[in-house]
Formats: sequence, structure tokens, C-alpha cells
Amino acid sequence: MSAIQSVFSEKASVFIPYISLGDPDYESCVDWADALIRGGAGILELGIPFSDPVADGPVIQKAFQRALAHPFSMDQILDTTAKIYSKHPHVPLVYLTYFNPIYRYGFETFAEKAKTSGIQGLIIPDLPYDAIESEELFQSLKKRGIDLIHLVTPATKPERMKGIRHFASGFVYYVTSYGVTGERKSVSEGLEERIRLTKKTFSLPVCAGFGISTSEQAARISEYADGIIIGSAVQRIIEENGRNRETCVEKLREFSASVSSSLRGREAVS
Amino acid sequence: MAKDRGFTGKEGYYGEFGGRYAPEILTRALDELETAYRRLKKSKKFEKELEYYRRNYIGRPSPLTYAENLTKAWGGARIWLKREDLNHTGAHKINNAIGQGLIAKSMGKRRVIAETGAGQHGVATATVGALFGFDTVVYMGEEDLRRQKLNEIRMQMLGAKVVGVSAGTATLKDATSEAMRDWALNVDHTHYIVGSAIGPHPFPMIVRDFQAIIGVESKKQFRKAEDKLPDAVVACVGGGSNAIGIFYEFLKDKKVKLYGVEAGGRGTSPGEHSATMLFGKTGFLHGTKTLVIQDENGQVLPAHSVSAGLDYPGVGPEHAYLHETGRVSYESVSDENALDAFLEVCRVEGIIPALETAHAFRFARDLAKDLGKKKDILICLSGRGDKDVAEVARLTGILKGEIL
Repeated sequence: MSAIQSVFSEKASVFIPYISLGDPDYESCVDWADALIRGGAGILELGIPFSDPVADGPVIQKAFQRALAHPFSMDQILDTTAKIYSKHPHVPLVYLTYFNPIYRYGFETFAEKAKTSGIQGLIIPDLPYDAIESEELFQSLKKRGIDLIHLVTPATKPERMKGIRHFASGFVYYVTSYGVTGERKSVSEGLEERIRLTKKTFSLPVCAGFGISTSEQAARISEYADGIIIGSAVQRIIEENGRNRETCVEKLREFSASVSSSLRGREAVS
Repeated sequence: MAKDRGFTGKEGYYGEFGGRYAPEILTRALDELETAYRRLKKSKKFEKELEYYRRNYIGRPSPLTYAENLTKAWGGARIWLKREDLNHTGAHKINNAIGQGLIAKSMGKRRVIAETGAGQHGVATATVGALFGFDTVVYMGEEDLRRQKLNEIRMQMLGAKVVGVSAGTATLKDATSEAMRDWALNVDHTHYIVGSAIGPHPFPMIVRDFQAIIGVESKKQFRKAEDKLPDAVVACVGGGSNAIGIFYEFLKDKKVKLYGVEAGGRGTSPGEHSATMLFGKTGFLHGTKTLVIQDENGQVLPAHSVSAGLDYPGVGPEHAYLHETGRVSYESVSDENALDAFLEVCRVEGIIPALETAHAFRFARDLAKDLGKKKDILICLSGRGDKDVAEVARLTGILKGEIL
């Protein structure tokens, strides 16, 4: 069982917040991560900024723009990750990134350095499991025990799910609704049924993301999902408060605590 | 390990380029599009319908014009023009928009979206939207809206909603990203009419197939006129749809030299040009593996061209392949030289070409001298330049009486 999988249990749902690394600067991100973990995050998703994030909505696009206003380097990303890891080695860290920066860096070098920095999993929204590069990257990650976490969506047909199953590890990222990342008022119909089907198909924990922004939504979905991923709502707190580090840290911790404690089974494990 | 790789067989790739690198939410729609297109491609009814619109709506075949004045002025090879500027809506873009509109109709979609740089693809999509009764939304960078006001107005008159994109460089690259986001949200009832031979499979294949009519007609017309093939074919390349359209029929004719002309802009530093073949490296952008202008960290760099239609940091994957194999030579022409060529073609031949095509003209002028007399150069006149007159006037000082 991978480090990521060991975080999950039948009894409780896990809170997985997301931050874009480098927004507004790399140093602050270590504090954001710390605050979210202290608030109760079980896994932390770290976004690697990309110039053309087609799967992301306006909040994360803006976060990337702010991050890329500073000189970007993968080494800086890895250094920041290592700092977060050294503070909280028991909380799995997962990268969410677009494929081009990894491709340029080189699969082997990236996998090796990511592992050393404390990364346990990788999510790449623009790399389908059946792209020719997937297998090579998958092997590089597998050798080092890093999970390649795949996205499954309401548009993914059952036969495709079976194909994805061969490559998926860690957990499955279930995209709750059509569209890109961002806060939404309502959750799409039939979500419970679709998540239950995904769990059955994969025999892996299934975490729900895209469009979830409040404790109420999170609590409801956590009844049947193994984890709840929240990106844009977290990133919005950073957008609004990022310049004042202390305030931002407090707001992030509060948000994390509020979502975490609302999830299924949290009282039982806390 | 799963061996069945579905679309990633040979058909989605051009050498190592192409494929499908799009968010998972789009996979079903891309599969459905490919299935629908392959079914229609074999259908006589579809072929007839497409032919009907080509002939009676677009105005095809577009003429082949012998450019006698340019030939004399340049003093070298004979110059021939494939007149895509004479198509309805004024550019080659309508060939693809009509084709994809028919696919969308057959798939029961009620809404179409598009990205546009210079606005010609936006106008073509808005036209098809009006013709077939689709709700139409066109994404266009704010910088391009400034440069191409006329086309914004045309799209609105045709009933399309034009959405300005202010993210990033506010040009075609960002309009494309925004259109992909819209498609991800509305994929069930919306078809994305990709405007160039870019994007995830099957788009580069579909766009090429609909634009291939340019080369098919050219070959036939040239044979009829001269009883031979041209010695060289020249076309401008942004994403590369008019170029792949005219090249495709000639790929097997090894004696015909093919030249794609990119925007050299105003310099060789990043952000000053759109010369992807010269400065691009293999990467992944907008759902396809191709050459991309990017930094060493894999971040896509801004592109620049005086022509909004060429202002794109990537290129169609089939072009990347043709570049790699050497079948097509890719060159670049600067903003300044393209503006010169624009005015020269206006005054010498009585044709106002699109600024995009002006790049091809400028390159062809040098090529004509190199090849010498008795040789023939065919230029794809991809569109007319009405949309560019205000910007050219501003840049060249024509309105201030400072004619070059």
C-alpha cells in the first residue's frame, strides 16, 4: 500500500486542499501549506504553475499568473516542496501539473527529484492514460513509489475506466462536474452513484474535486467520497489575503479546520 | 499493461507529433467527433451536401489567377495565386467552418464555439452559425479585438456573441485556452469548431481534410492552365490550416518544392516573433504534441506578429512533422517586410491581401528571383486584407499622408 493510500480509511473522509506554488511567492507557500495541514488536511495538493492551464478556471489561472510574474524554475518548486515536507513528513504531498513542464525537465530527473523532495503522487490533467508518453512516465514514477493519480469524469465511459485502472494508483480524482476548476453553487445530479461505481471499478479510494467550495458541500459529498479536494476556494483566500502573511495563515487554518471537521468520520479519528 | 491504445494508433500522429493531450472531460466528445467524422467521410450524402455548400455558398472552386504584374515586377519566376480571398467571408477559413458545421449538425449539437486571432475564423464560424441556426460564441483576445475591429462587428451582425479574453497575452493562444474551457463545460450540446490544423486528435486531421480542397483544385487548375505542376508552392503558417490545405495534395509530388512562411516579427528574442519552426521545441500545447515556443522550464512564451492570424506560439502537428522530415521548408518574414509586401501587392496587382498572406508574398518575391524565369510559383492567397487596412494604415502612416 502506498503512503497515499494509507491515509484513507473506511471510517473517515480526507480533506485535500490545493495551493498554487509561487503565489504570491515561494516562501509564503510553505506557511500556507503549514496552516492547511494544521487545520486538518490529510493530503496536500501542490500546483506547479503553467502558462496555459486549460483545465483551470479563473481563480487558479490568476494564481499561476501571479506565480509566473517571478522567475520560474522547477528547482525552486522542488526546494519549496522539500521545505513543506520537512515540516510535515507524515502528510503526503501530491503535485498537480500540466504535462509540458515535466516533459521538458525529463521524466527520470523529475521523478527522482520529486521523490527526494517528498512527493508521493502526481496528477496531470492533460496527460491521458493512453498517450504514448504515459507508460514511460508511469514506469519512472512506479520505480520510486510515486503514484500516478488519474482523473475520472462524468464523461468517462465504463470501458475507458477499465483502461485507466491499469495505470491508476494512490487514489482516483473524480471530477464532480463538467467544466474547469472553480467554485460552484450546486453539485451535479447522480454524483453519489457515479462515485460508487468508480470505487467499485478501481478498488482505490475515490476523492471528489472541481467545484466544491464550502463545508456544507464537502460534508455532503464526504458521505460517499473518500476525500474532498478543494482548490479555487483555498486559492481565493490566498488571492484576497496573500499579501498579509499572518492574516492569510489564520484564514487558511480556519478554512481547513472548518472543512476537515465537517467531513464524514472526522470526529471519530480526531 | 493495456496494449490497446485506441486513438494513439498511427492515425492520430504525424511522426512523433499530434495525438491527444486534452483534459479527460473532453475525451468522450473527441471520440464521438472522430466516430461521426469517419462515418460522414464515407457517406455519399455528406459528400454531396459538402459539395453543394462549396459550390453554391462558398463560391468554389476559387479561381487560379496568373499574377502578370507581380511576375513582371519581380522579374523572375511566374507568379500564380490561388484565390481563397474570393471565398464567401473572404478567406480559406470558411472551407473548414462549413465542414465542421455540417458535422455539428449531424451530431445534433445546437451550439458552436470558436477561437479566433484575426477574426476570419470567427466570422466564418458566425456565418455557419447563422446559416445552420447554431448559438455561436467566439473567443478572441482583447489585443486582437483592437486590431481587428471590423471582424468583431461582422461577427456581431451575424448573430454571434464575441467574448474578449484578457488573460495572458490577450491573443490567439489565450482565446484558444478559453474556448477549450468553454467546451469542457458545455461539451454535451456544443461543438468546438477549431479554426486551424491544431488541437487534440481528430481536429488536425479534420481541418486538413476540409482545407485540402485548396490543393486539389490548385493542382487541377494548374494542370489545365499550364499542363504541368508548379515548381514551388508558398503559403503562410500560423497554426497552418491554409498551408496544409494547399500542400497536402502536392506532398507526393517530390519535384514540387513546398514553402511555409512564418512571422519573423520584429526580432529574434522571445516575444518578438511567431517563428515556431525556427525557435520552437517539442512540447504540448492545446491538446497536441508539436513544436512550441517555450522557455527551458516548459512555460509557453508569448508570440508576436503584426498579423493577428499568425500570432501563435505553436503550429499544427502535421507541419512539425513535415518540418522534421524536410518535405516542407519553413522560412520567416519580418513585420516590416510583410507590410512592404502588403502595399506592393495592393499597388502592383490590385489585390489587398491579408497581412498573413503578405508574409508569403514577401518570401515568394525572393524565391522568384532565385528560381528565375520559366519556373512557376503558386502562392496561397489565404484571405483578403479588408480586416487589416486600418492597422496597416496606422502602422505605415498612410492616414497621415506619410505614404511609404
